[in-house]
Amino acid sequence: MKFRLKNAMYLLLFLSVIFKVNAQERTVSGVVSDDVGPLPGVNIIIKNTSKGTESDADGKYSIKAKTGDILVFSFVGMKTVERPVGASNKIDVTLENDNFLEEIVVVAYGAQSEKKVITSVSKVNQEAIKDLVTDSPQNILQGQASGVQVVSSSGVLGASPELRIRGTNSIGTNVRPLFVVDGVILGDDFLTGAQGGGQGLNPLSSINPNDIENISVLKSAAATALYGSRGANGVVIITTKTGSKDGSVKVNLDFSTSISSVTDTPELLNAQQFRDFSAITAPTRTIFDGNFDFIDAVFRNAVSQSYNLGVNGGNEKSSFYIGVTREDQEGILVGNELERTSFRGNIKTQANDWLTLGLNSSVSVNKFDRTPQENAFAAPYTIANLQRQDVNPIDENGNFTTAGNVGGGNVIAQELLNLNLATETRITGNAFADIDFSSLLNGLSFKTDFGVDRRFVEAQTREVDLLTPGGEAFNGISQQNRFTITPTFLYNNKLGEKHNLSLLAGYSYDQNDIRNIDVAGTGFLDDSFINVTSASTFTTTSSDGTTSRLVSYFGRASYDYDNGKYVLEASLRRDGSSRFGLNNQFGTFWSAAFGWNISDENFMADVNWIRDLILNVSAGTAGNDRIGNFASLGTFFNSPYNNNPGLRPNSLANPDLRWETTTGFDAGISASFLNRRLTVGVEFYKKITDDLILNVPVDPTFNLGLNAVATNIGEIQNTGVDVDITSVNFDTESGFKWTTNLNIGYNKNEVTKLPGDNIDERGNRFVAQGGSFSGQRAIEGHSANSFYLIRYVGVNPQTGDAEWLDADGNITTNPTQADRVVAGQANPDFVGGLTNTFKYKNWSLSTLFNFSVGNDIFLASRSFSENPRSGFNKTTRVLNIWQNPGDNAFIPSTSSSTYGVFEQDSTLQLEDGSFARLKNVTLAYSLPQSLLDNVFLSNVRFYATATNLLTIKSDGLDGYDPETSRNADGGGAIGEEFFNIPQARTYTLGVNITF
Amino acid sequence: MKNNINTILKRAGILSLAVSSLIFTSCEDELNVLPEDSPVTELVFSNGTLALGALEGMYSAAQQDDVLNGTLQLSGEWQSDNVDFEGTFPTFNEIRQYTILSTNTSINGMWDDNYETIASANLVIDNVPLVDDASFTPAQRTQAIAEARFMRALVYLNISAYFGQPLQVADGRNNLSVPLVTSSEIGLEVNRATLGEVHDFIESELLAIIPDLGAPTTRIKANSGAAKALLARLYLYQERFADAAQMADEVISDGFYALATDYTFYNQRGSTEHIYTLANNADDGQDSGEGFSGLTNPNPLGRGDAPFSDDLLAAYAAEPGDLRFTTLNQTGNDAQGNVRTFTSKFPDGNNDADDAPVIRITEMYLTRAEGNFRAGSTVGAVPLADINTLRTRAGLPNLTAVDLDIILNERRKELAFEGQRRMDLMRNGMDLRRPGQPDANLSAPGMDRTIFPIPQAVRDLSPFLAQNPGY
Repeated sequence: MKFRLKNAMYLLLFLSVIFKVNAQERTVSGVVSDDVGPLPGVNIIIKNTSKGTESDADGKYSIKAKTGDILVFSFVGMKTVERPVGASNKIDVTLENDNFLEEIVVVAYGAQSEKKVITSVSKVNQEAIKDLVTDSPQNILQGQASGVQVVSSSGVLGASPELRIRGTNSIGTNVRPLFVVDGVILGDDFLTGAQGGGQGLNPLSSINPNDIENISVLKSAAATALYGSRGANGVVIITTKTGSKDGSVKVNLDFSTSISSVTDTPELLNAQQFRDFSAITAPTRTIFDGNFDFIDAVFRNAVSQSYNLGVNGGNEKSSFYIGVTREDQEGILVGNELERTSFRGNIKTQANDWLTLGLNSSVSVNKFDRTPQENAFAAPYTIANLQRQDVNPIDENGNFTTAGNVGGGNVIAQELLNLNLATETRITGNAFADIDFSSLLNGLSFKTDFGVDRRFVEAQTREVDLLTPGGEAFNGISQQNRFTITPTFLYNNKLGEKHNLSLLAGYSYDQNDIRNIDVAGTGFLDDSFINVTSASTFTTTSSDGTTSRLVSYFGRASYDYDNGKYVLEASLRRDGSSRFGLNNQFGTFWSAAFGWNISDENFMADVNWIRDLILNVSAGTAGNDRIGNFASLGTFFNSPYNNNPGLRPNSLANPDLRWETTTGFDAGISASFLNRRLTVGVEFYKKITDDLILNVPVDPTFNLGLNAVATNIGEIQNTGVDVDITSVNFDTESGFKWTTNLNIGYNKNEVTKLPGDNIDERGNRFVAQGGSFSGQRAIEGHSANSFYLIRYVGVNPQTGDAEWLDADGNITTNPTQADRVVAGQANPDFVGGLTNTFKYKNWSLSTLFNFSVGNDIFLASRSFSENPRSGFNKTTRVLNIWQNPGDNAFIPSTSSSTYGVFEQDSTLQLEDGSFARLKNVTLAYSLPQSLLDNVFLSNVRFYATATNLLTIKSDGLDGYDPETSRNADGGGAIGEEFFNIPQARTYTLGVNITF
Repeated sequence: MKNNINTILKRAGILSLAVSSLIFTSCEDELNVLPEDSPVTELVFSNGTLALGALEGMYSAAQQDDVLNGTLQLSGEWQSDNVDFEGTFPTFNEIRQYTILSTNTSINGMWDDNYETIASANLVIDNVPLVDDASFTPAQRTQAIAEARFMRALVYLNISAYFGQPLQVADGRNNLSVPLVTSSEIGLEVNRATLGEVHDFIESELLAIIPDLGAPTTRIKANSGAAKALLARLYLYQERFADAAQMADEVISDGFYALATDYTFYNQRGSTEHIYTLANNADDGQDSGEGFSGLTNPNPLGRGDAPFSDDLLAAYAAEPGDLRFTTLNQTGNDAQGNVRTFTSKFPDGNNDADDAPVIRITEMYLTRAEGNFRAGSTVGAVPLADINTLRTRAGLPNLTAVDLDIILNERRKELAFEGQRRMDLMRNGMDLRRPGQPDANLSAPGMDRTIFPIPQAVRDLSPFLAQNPGY
């Protein structure tokens, strides 16, 4: 090396003398180093020439150049740096590690550097989620990972979102992915009642988003095969914040306050319009002389506050993280509140050179003041829509009235007077010990992990005498206790210089216990006696419990050659579950994957227009066990008569019942362009899920009055493409940077096989989706969430009759159920997110759009709100009623034969649900360092965020929220609305201080 | 060197400890768990106590609102001229307006729940003889089977009235009725029986169990008087008036039953008025809010769905002072917020715990009167006497003569809201609605939507079950 340097220098000197180069050419020199010290062997060339040199053993270099030349410094594994030659003759350069694709990504039971991850894993960083104003870990993922669809179900606090990874994977069970926090499998059963909506409060609402460091979403069967019978729906791995190793302690404080209001509500008849409409359609109806806007009365501008403290620190031996969060949230519905308190402590310490110990623990308390969601006389938004506005709920003396009120209640009184609380206390934690056995066998280590997730939910309601004569009280306590023991062996070693082998072998035992106690009573002397103990009659006294267990053996082998040029991986897992029939208790799941880093090949060494070209191919199987704990048994249940115990048939047996199996195949290619400013990843996938567990309907007439047997029958396929594009559009020296992240998932969902018990009029096999208002079905040859409806045409201007299409496409005024056709589907074709981040000096602006294209929504509430004959309030669309030939009307003539059946289920209630929503806009300003130099603060950042600022949706959804789902428990019908509370638009102001 | 060996030994020790903890924690036996409170079928008929529990469960199944606790019965009232429907459920509205669709979910529920009760009865009838338990005596077994056969017959009589045309219409005995399922074998399919077959089955069952049930000792479960009374009801449907009068007389003559002195008997389980009443309690009563208490009470106590029709109010108003009206009505809001008149026969809208009067002695007096009148006999008492007995209790003056209209009118005023009116009109070939009432033009005997469809969901699975005309 030294010899070459010397030669180069002499040559340069000679050349400079001979050719008398440009008079401005001079010797430029300096030292090149990395973060440790001087770096020898660094290539320095003058850009666009072949003139160059290398740094010597002391990192020094010297080169002849003139003003305006650009020196390019490059070294393997380091980021290339360019420096223009200016007035100075001395240019010192520090090179940074080129971490491109070296970031660590958490995968199943381990972690891997990004370039060696060859299965389908999307990583969501802290940077992307830190400014999101959300209340659940599911909502955080909205628009962040390709192929992941998140739909909020309602605007109440704690509403459960619908989360699907790569399409609908199941029909009879549910498609919720597994959530894991620091290796602890989270209990996610619903422990609160639905209160009118399709499901209870979000079971994951007590996971604190502030504690999250990053999230890995495992999307394919190959990635989740190591989770065996629970991986088919995908796995979301959350890693909480850890400490640091540099000997410092950082304290971070965050204060913010928000104001929220409802986004969009339908236009309803006011009092006078209702009176006028009644005069035409129901002249004998009793009219009241009040005037009250119920929609206005049930909503409010809600103000919330949030306080968060995070401390992390540590040194090489020990590190810790402490987090404290306190939030007081108001919901946009009057009477809806959430008080959240959460503590977390994570510690990791290296006791000695072979033993590392750690403990992650969190305690959180969520206190909800609930309002019922929809489809109940007690649901404020439902009532506000149905309640005619000529009725005043408060009389002239200020007392609440019930006359003329829907359901004889009083929606205003109910929120003020009734008690409706739910409190969840959650303790989640794990303790682990990592023993290094390198002294026995180099690269061998043993880790044992004991994890616990305990939820304690108490629900309390009390209805006052005015609304429920005699009063009624209810108190229920539900507990879910999960614990997991996972001992694993890991062997990690280099064989020779280029071969890297990693072996994992482990065992896992998982137990999930749920216990419930419910009491209720009626007949109180006074509303102030709120507990069941004061009731005169106890209407409910009940307790029950259930359990499920899982025993697993698993192993993985990973091999890579030449630092990831070729990567091979295979895994195997054997699961035994108490949920499955005695004939099929155990199952085996495998995965195999291959990755080829093409850019590392020699033939690609000089190719610069495309870099980091990586091809990944993988396949694997994973299972779905989300059924009841005892679905394979034929059982009776306790059903007393007159205080004597009795037994009645409950379920039909199926000892062959087993998990659903997803077999997936993925092929992906990713590369970067334009000097790594543009990164594109495209992954094609095909998932076949068979042995679908369906409650195959049986005729109750001949089957003990029972309606179904859980059977493995049926097959569904999901095919799609996930695209991820990251582009650094601008990155100027003046400090302006604009980055765009786009992720799009295309998914095509098709049911390929169903049992033959249900065949529709077109001869297609189908299975009805549960909880549907519209008759949504999974139909063979179509989507698992197909809308099967009569086609509505409109009101004939000449005759005033409403018209539909019969099965053959002819106009009819008398359709029957046989005229239903596949009219749409609730699964989107595309979902995704678009994030733009702009940075300029101390300012930053980021915007997140999430979108969904190609899905339809069924507005079931229309059959109530647009029924001209009922005594309920209606939307203003009904004012357009046919009176004379030539009228283009919405409602048919009152004398038409169709007037009585106009609002029956049809495409009249089906709308295009595609939308794009500006989910988050955050503008932030960090105080300049100069201001903070003499203060103990190291960073002060002010930010303003708007959530759900703008929604682009079809005209047909005027007044309705495109993010709506009556059910959000991962199963049954999706894309249906029935007076769902719309999302809130929120403005947040906050400050973040670090010291 | 020594240090190294010590270190290696220490490591090996720890390693073996780790491995052994692996083996120790292997818990495959833990996978065989049974539910804590849901016994499997093998356990249910393993001894006499549990088998009798299954019989109790059958009564519990009948407590479903769709079976004996009011939804089916109120459907009949809505279809007739007695009761209006003012609520929100489109399914009940269809029943009321004769616009029923085969996909009507309430009707599907009625079919489901009634066949559940039939199945509970079949399980007892099939399995009780096989129970391996010496302490489960033959007498106990006979009693249990007889009670199950009664319930099965009762449910078949109820549903055959709704899911097929009555004898008085079209093909009479050959009208298609419900499938006659008499075995608990899972998956055994039978086609729709004819109405004649169903009636014959009910009659033979009831006649067979009367001796098995012995002298009556209870009013809240099957008893011999109830079996006879049910036979009387069946004979009336079949226009076998002499048999009806005879059977009704036998029940009246049994000293266990007698007319209550006033109308406070509805929730008095021990009242002699009751032949068979379903016992509901606050913590175990009507199950859906859509039974007697939930539907017939005004808002907010109940749903406010079922107020008196104007025609029924007029029937009482024709003879003011009728205690059957004045002591059994209340005023309140219907579901739409209008003030209407409601019955107070089932006042507990809070707990839905009112008993359901399935058969009571008053019906026997009416049946005896009508049977005697139409057969020209005077078994037990002349029709006039029976009618006047009831009128006296109602605070009305005696009549001097009766005809069929008067008997049917008295029957209407006695049994309003209890689910009898519909068949009383149908078996007499009368329209279900009176002129002037809504949809009267769709309510003539034999019209398609005066009976229920075989639920679409059932026909999707068993297409061999023919659908009723017009659906």
